[in-house]
Amino acid sequence: MIIKKRPGGELATRPLHFIWIADCSYSMQGEKIEQLNFAIKNVIPEMQKVAAENVNAEVLVRAVKFSDGAQWHVAQPTKVDDFEWQNLSVNGMTDMGAALHLVADQLKMPPMSERGLPPVLVLISDGQPTDDFTSGLNALIQLPWGKKAVRVGIAIGDDADTEVMEQFIGNKELPVLQARNSEELTKYIRWVSTAVLQAASAPPSQVNDATRSNVPLPAVPTVAPISSADVW
Amino acid sequence: MNQLLKIKKTVALDNGSSCRVLGYLGSGGQGEVYHADWQGMDVALKWYYPQQATPEQHNALKYLIKIGPPNGNFLFPLAVASSDEITGFGYIMPLRPKNYKNISDLIKRRIELSFKQLLTATVELTDSFLQLHAKGLCYRDISFGNFFIEPDTGGILICDNDNVTINGDKTTGVIGTPRFMAPEIVRREANPDNDSDLFSLAVLLFYLLFLHHPLEGKREADIKCFDLPAMNKLYGFDPLFIFDGNDNSNYPVQGYQDNALIYWAIYPHFIKQLFIQSFTKGLNNIHGRVRGSEWRQQLLRLKDSIIECACGAENFLDETQLQQAGQLQPCWSCQQRLQLPPRLAIKHPTQQMVVVLNRDTQLYPYHLYTNRKNELTAAVAQVVQHPQKPNVWGLKNLSPDTWTFAENGQIKSVVQGQSVSLSAGITLNFGQTQAEICA
Repeated sequence: MIIKKRPGGELATRPLHFIWIADCSYSMQGEKIEQLNFAIKNVIPEMQKVAAENVNAEVLVRAVKFSDGAQWHVAQPTKVDDFEWQNLSVNGMTDMGAALHLVADQLKMPPMSERGLPPVLVLISDGQPTDDFTSGLNALIQLPWGKKAVRVGIAIGDDADTEVMEQFIGNKELPVLQARNSEELTKYIRWVSTAVLQAASAPPSQVNDATRSNVPLPAVPTVAPISSADVW
Repeated sequence: MNQLLKIKKTVALDNGSSCRVLGYLGSGGQGEVYHADWQGMDVALKWYYPQQATPEQHNALKYLIKIGPPNGNFLFPLAVASSDEITGFGYIMPLRPKNYKNISDLIKRRIELSFKQLLTATVELTDSFLQLHAKGLCYRDISFGNFFIEPDTGGILICDNDNVTINGDKTTGVIGTPRFMAPEIVRREANPDNDSDLFSLAVLLFYLLFLHHPLEGKREADIKCFDLPAMNKLYGFDPLFIFDGNDNSNYPVQGYQDNALIYWAIYPHFIKQLFIQSFTKGLNNIHGRVRGSEWRQQLLRLKDSIIECACGAENFLDETQLQQAGQLQPCWSCQQRLQLPPRLAIKHPTQQMVVVLNRDTQLYPYHLYTNRKNELTAAVAQVVQHPQKPNVWGLKNLSPDTWTFAENGQIKSVVQGQSVSLSAGITLNFGQTQAEICA
């Protein structure tokens, strides 16, 4: 234990809730779900590093999975240092609306605390919603914390419903992230769990450009042109 | 998880040599940083993201390489790097030694510095930015992320110098880091310059000394979602110092913003005055900001005011408080009332310096000689324990000059290597200055 040489504690922080919302429908079967599992597992150490260097936020991570209905995959807001990713498996339809209802229930006050940083919600899907997406989205964005959340959409492959994703994101400055191969998926997963996480709590150096977002969004990573061999 | 350069890749440098990428170190808002080998020397190689690799940035780097660093604390660019196969460019700079730690470690209390070490770091920082400003430059982005600290010595290293420009230059886009930007920059009314640097420096010093932000009081506590509009209001459009004497509506909230209250209670009046000036008059009036030279002098004075309590905790001599209360405050750690240790009152032509003499206190040239720069170079005197009489403490002469003092009508000399006992009432003549030992 470190003996204190000066009084007081560490700098006061605010909680930052980070929630993965992952599509586990049948269409994700095979390499897609495995690549998603791999990408998230792989990024955890880097996310921990970013969180450790971030003096303003206490990062708490959770995950929702949706297929036939939706369930919490990691229900407890977990400190990023303790966060472990259990592999997702596929099953059923694409009940995205149910997933957003589940998230909305947790963004009410309570259980949300009075003070916090903008939550980061990451929706990852390869398909089209099979339930009432609009009702789920409305439930989410009518909440103050839902409205303030940075909502990121990662579309896997070419079949994802980007229109639905755009509605979820609700910010013209932030495009749907189209992951057409595992490399791009990894890149976007990494970007959202490091650069976006940082921007939502302790934004780095800023350049002089006007943003209308409530979080200064970092530049979306560029992807190299892909060859046909890379297409899923 | 790098994406710009491949490990083992060799990139060309504009000085005619090349360097080889050895490993990935991390990424920031502008690019990625790699560990590289340059002619057998370990260096850091920063490579810009394509959107940041602008001709203006390239020119800025060339200029910085030409002028060189203001002092040894800056990890300045050494050469511009480029490659035929990769878009954009980068630059190499000295690699930070491993014993230099991130400021986040200090702020999150993963490393623990004494006040003496911390104040040494603040003096080094202030002095470095002062020297940068004196060269007609401005840093534009003073924040936590841009320097490192050596916990044992309080030494610092300043990185991310690629945003440094001639003061007032409008060509580069970086305007600062939220929480550190001056209000006029947050409001986009001005471009970063050395005046906005002074504001950011004051925020940084407050953060380091108080482990809290100077504008985060009740107004911050009242905000539910702390996002960019909230930050712009708190730091730009409606800023108010938490200890503004004329308006206490932003006073820190107990139980949530305790560090601010704890530290405000233990620092001496004179240093708090500088923060009051910085964040009241200096908040919206650039002419009201505390100059770097003033900060450096008063931070050294604060270091000279450290009183070591019998329990080992460092406290501060607050002469204003002592005069008002007639006694010292209780120690913040053991709560016992502090005892006044011996002091050295050194008379300079325009001021008197008071140095509290603890068991390891050192004096520097600016203490004993007139017109010396306020800096922590080699010590010229040090408090020492008598080798045979442990209860007797003295001041050892580490300088080549001979000191004199009068005792029982005789003039006695203290040459280099000798010590004089800390007896109350003795006046030491250091040549250019005289000092009375007070007990």
